[in-house]
Amino acid sequence: MANTETTLKECLASIEGATGVALVDYTSGMALGTMGGSKTFDLNVAAAGNTDVVRAKMRTMEHLGLKGQIEDILITLNDQYHLIRLISGRGGNGLFMYLVLDAKRANLAMARHQLRKIEEDLEV
Amino acid sequence: MTAVRTHPQGTTPPPRLPVREKSGARDRGGALSPMLTRLAAERATGVLERERGSLYLAEGRVVHAESPLAPGLDVLLLAHGTLAPAVWQDAVDRADEEYGAARLLLDAGRVPRGALELCHLEAVFDAAYFALAPSSTPGHFRYGAGHWLGAVRPVPVDAVERETLRRRELLNRLWPDPLSDGAPLRRSDAVAAPTPTARQSAVLALADGVRTAPDIARELGRQAFHTLVDVRRLAAAGLLTALFPPPRVHHAATAAVPGLPPRHALAESTGTAAAPPSPGITLPRVNDPDITLLKRLRDALEAL
Repeated sequence: MANTETTLKECLASIEGATGVALVDYTSGMALGTMGGSKTFDLNVAAAGNTDVVRAKMRTMEHLGLKGQIEDILITLNDQYHLIRLISGRGGNGLFMYLVLDAKRANLAMARHQLRKIEEDLEV
Repeated sequence: MTAVRTHPQGTTPPPRLPVREKSGARDRGGALSPMLTRLAAERATGVLERERGSLYLAEGRVVHAESPLAPGLDVLLLAHGTLAPAVWQDAVDRADEEYGAARLLLDAGRVPRGALELCHLEAVFDAAYFALAPSSTPGHFRYGAGHWLGAVRPVPVDAVERETLRRRELLNRLWPDPLSDGAPLRRSDAVAAPTPTARQSAVLALADGVRTAPDIARELGRQAFHTLVDVRRLAAAGLLTALFPPPRVHHAATAAVPGLPPRHALAESTGTAAAPPSPGITLPRVNDPDITLLKRLRDALEAL
């Protein structure tokens, strides 16, 4: 059992190459917690913007009639990876974890695996 | 000079379009509540009571928020089976100054800390959105008053203010007409409307011409702001309209008095309405599909 702050800390500390992480409510676009980031990378702005990414994908799945659930969404930049992992909260609303990785240092397969483990411990 | 006729001669002119309120856009510039900023600076403890909700502060940080327009933490926790109602009630009854209900629940292991924290945080921002809405009456602060829930995760005042402004802008961007936030809602037929999502369909199913967005939120056990987001998106798609003016029960009763000839009833109702200018008579029904379409067109053009 973990609270949000320790979960976010664990993401930054244990996932190689992680530079920022946020827990986001995707209906309102609010970041419920952020850690890392920098002056030039505002995680609150990233959180709000990426809700549109999640929403667009969910809509497309509904249009296609796909019944599967989205586990994660990966966006690759030339120097960064952005990983979005969906979580369903007990409050009946959708949340996602948003993880920013440095592409040079990160091991993508490992990061995905670790993020899944961390999410299992986060009882939301 | 040639006069341009917008309607054929001999027919009644179309009703005037209602003018959209611009107050929402004007208010965005200034601070939300100068009083709140001052209380945060002096690290005050107590409760700030405003027209549409209250903010509880502890040493200048927001520990709780409540609004009659937003479902409480209890609704969010109980509606989805996170907590049994009896367990919640027991914690509320036993809570005192030292041990708040939140701490009792956590100590007894009744609810995971992560779940309680997030639900509480969402309830706080949800209620704060309404509590910090522009109001016509001044707020007042009671020093020292605490909340029986106790502190879960205090939030800085500027974070609450920033998020409230961001939420206002988000709603304004989705659909700039704030009428649907508080008026009774009902479904409308739209041409070539997008299919609503599963969450939106649940909202649509409860729009019966009586319930307002906060009523629907409470019934579904969802945050009021989430429901406002869905409602504005549905309004933009033309699938939902707000009843304006809200149905007046009083009028219906007058018209339905038995024994009065219909003509008499009509004259009487217009007679009473003439004294104070009633919006029920002068303004057109905005649920008319043509007018709804024109409004959407106008709003889309204005948004360009």
